[in-house]
Amino acid sequence: MEVLEDYGLKKRNRTQDGLIKKIGIVGGGTMGQEISVTVSKAGMDVVIVDISEERLSIISQLISDLLDNMINRWGMTPGEKKSIMSRIRLTTDYTELKDSNIVIECINTEKTISNLEERKNVFRKVEQHVDDQTVIATNASTVLVADLAVVLKHPERAVGIHFLSPVHSVDIIELNKCVVTNKNTIDIINKFARMLKKEIINVTASPGNISTRLIIPLINEACELLMEGVGTVEDIDKTLMKGFGMQMGPFALADKIGLDKLLKWMEGLYDEFGDKKYKTSPIIKRLVRSQMYGRRVGEGFYKYENGRRISKPGSILNLGREDF
Amino acid sequence: MKILVLNCGSSSIKYQLFDMVDEKVLAKGIVEKIGLSGSFLKNERYDGDKVTLEGEVLDHQSGIEYIIGVLTSERRGCIKSVKEINAVGHRVVHGAERFKGSVRITDEVIAKMEECIDLAPLHNPPNLKGIYAVKELMPDIPQAGVFDTAFHQTMPPYAYMYAIPYSLYEKYKVRRYGFHGTSHRYVSNRAAEILGKDIKDLKLITCHLGNGASIAAIDGGKSVDTSMGLTPVEGLIMGTRCGDFDLGAFTYIIDKEEIDLDAANTLINKFSGMLGVSGISSDMRDIEKAASEGNERAALALEMYAYRVRKYIGAYAAAMNGVDAIIFTGGIGENDVETRGNICKNLGFIGAELDFPKHDGLRGKEAIISTESSKVKIMVIPTNEELVIARDTKEIIEKGVDVL
Repeated sequence: MEVLEDYGLKKRNRTQDGLIKKIGIVGGGTMGQEISVTVSKAGMDVVIVDISEERLSIISQLISDLLDNMINRWGMTPGEKKSIMSRIRLTTDYTELKDSNIVIECINTEKTISNLEERKNVFRKVEQHVDDQTVIATNASTVLVADLAVVLKHPERAVGIHFLSPVHSVDIIELNKCVVTNKNTIDIINKFARMLKKEIINVTASPGNISTRLIIPLINEACELLMEGVGTVEDIDKTLMKGFGMQMGPFALADKIGLDKLLKWMEGLYDEFGDKKYKTSPIIKRLVRSQMYGRRVGEGFYKYENGRRISKPGSILNLGREDF
Repeated sequence: MKILVLNCGSSSIKYQLFDMVDEKVLAKGIVEKIGLSGSFLKNERYDGDKVTLEGEVLDHQSGIEYIIGVLTSERRGCIKSVKEINAVGHRVVHGAERFKGSVRITDEVIAKMEECIDLAPLHNPPNLKGIYAVKELMPDIPQAGVFDTAFHQTMPPYAYMYAIPYSLYEKYKVRRYGFHGTSHRYVSNRAAEILGKDIKDLKLITCHLGNGASIAAIDGGKSVDTSMGLTPVEGLIMGTRCGDFDLGAFTYIIDKEEIDLDAANTLINKFSGMLGVSGISSDMRDIEKAASEGNERAALALEMYAYRVRKYIGAYAAAMNGVDAIIFTGGIGENDVETRGNICKNLGFIGAELDFPKHDGLRGKEAIISTESSKVKIMVIPTNEELVIARDTKEIIEKGVDVL
């Protein structure tokens, strides 16, 4: 068959400096979905690996909803949605990660304990199925990439790339490398970031990167203010938004991240640094125990109805619910 | 003399190779999906040989390499060696106030073009990539740049200035530039030839109605006003762009819908126009079909489209104190009989009368479609921007000048 390569002026090896064509995503939770959409939008193929067929159909629906929401907010056209969906494949089979240029681990477990061991398992499993050139990355916020690299036969390909939600509109990626990460890996990630039109923020090996380490003490301090009765949820949020130009206040942000996830981040950072500024606020613990995880479940510091945020009437001692 | 014309978009390169002895197109084609998966090159040779070649095209440079490779190949080509190409002409979208005509590309010109990126961040960078690539691949071959905005640089300040604080013009050069200049220039010159008159004696209104649409008032061969502005959103209603729109309404929507600038931009560029009103499609044919089946919004969209063009024709006749000919070009202007008919309704007051039988069957061909007695001629002239680029490039090379 006649192919374009027959007409090239120079024969050169395209595999080394070639295009990034395929990205593997292990774990189709919120971050996995958002990253997949952004990657596919940039023209790359995406394979999402998750644990069961049932999960896959839920993930597929959630991605479709996410894109519909973007269409309704004038962020993309139905035609673009179709082409984005057509480039995303969902599977339970790790062998489909073969040929990926980068595989990004994005797992999220329901447990409130650290899932370092599970992440290690994913890293091991991914390495069994990909080429030697494939970069294996983690999107974890508070895990040190060095702790994951150790389980690889080729640890030089391990790297942390932390996307911030909403991935499609946040234009930065935190790049967290460890001592063994090699230049080829960094080059590939840089190229990947350029294709996504995102800027790299280089972070020297630190769990929590810049973003998580800054936001956790802020949320904790907001909880302190709340517990001391200095201000209400709404007023504390409003102060940071109006006063300092933040898009969202700390409580709205905490609800959006998910309080269960936040708790994991806090525990992870407290474990690592032992500094009480990272120690989970008792309010967050109580909300999580009451399964008020935030926006995802319809209630956290605020209540959510049809995507709209509503203030809770009661005192914080009653987790905002009305006293009786 | 053989000239290669390149039109580099963000992920595509359109090309045509001309033999300037008789202005024959030796080959033309497109490279699509550059830097994406599924890229391919489509080539069509003068003798009808057609081929689509799939393969990886990493960037504009490798895209142009493949174009040269195909053009010089034994099997699909039409020239023996790249040395047969005497010059390369590029379409460049935005030339700002710096470029008032086509130019020979030098390092100094490239530097000036880089300064224009700010005004057309989506279009100018790929145009420049094509220029860099040719410089790298064929360093000895002269290149010329033909700007979409250049033809409109003759507009007087009262037509191109916006009534906003003057400091914004001084700081950012915010003003009307207009686009499709190469097309407006080609069809206006062609109209003068067909009418057998000197263009200096003519007042012309040229309607470029395609996916994007703009209209220009051309007095004595010079553009004196045009409907597109700093960006191609202003003016006529287009497939998915809104055209003229109340800015107060725009900020109101941004506030109500709580959207950011990106989404607001998508709203007026991709969700508006014929698609936005009809809710059916951005394609005139689909909308006309729906309207004929009784769809009211489709019918409304068509009325709005024709009304907006007619309004501009009236305005530009007033701007020039008269008009001698109205010219239709672009996909819709050349082929859409229904829309053309709707636009020309009620233009009797300026002396333009459509000859319906002549107009009815006419698609994609040069013709005068007004009645014999019509004071103002109505014409259809298929545009040919690539030919203009090739001619300008040839002139620059032959005359040995830097600017036309």
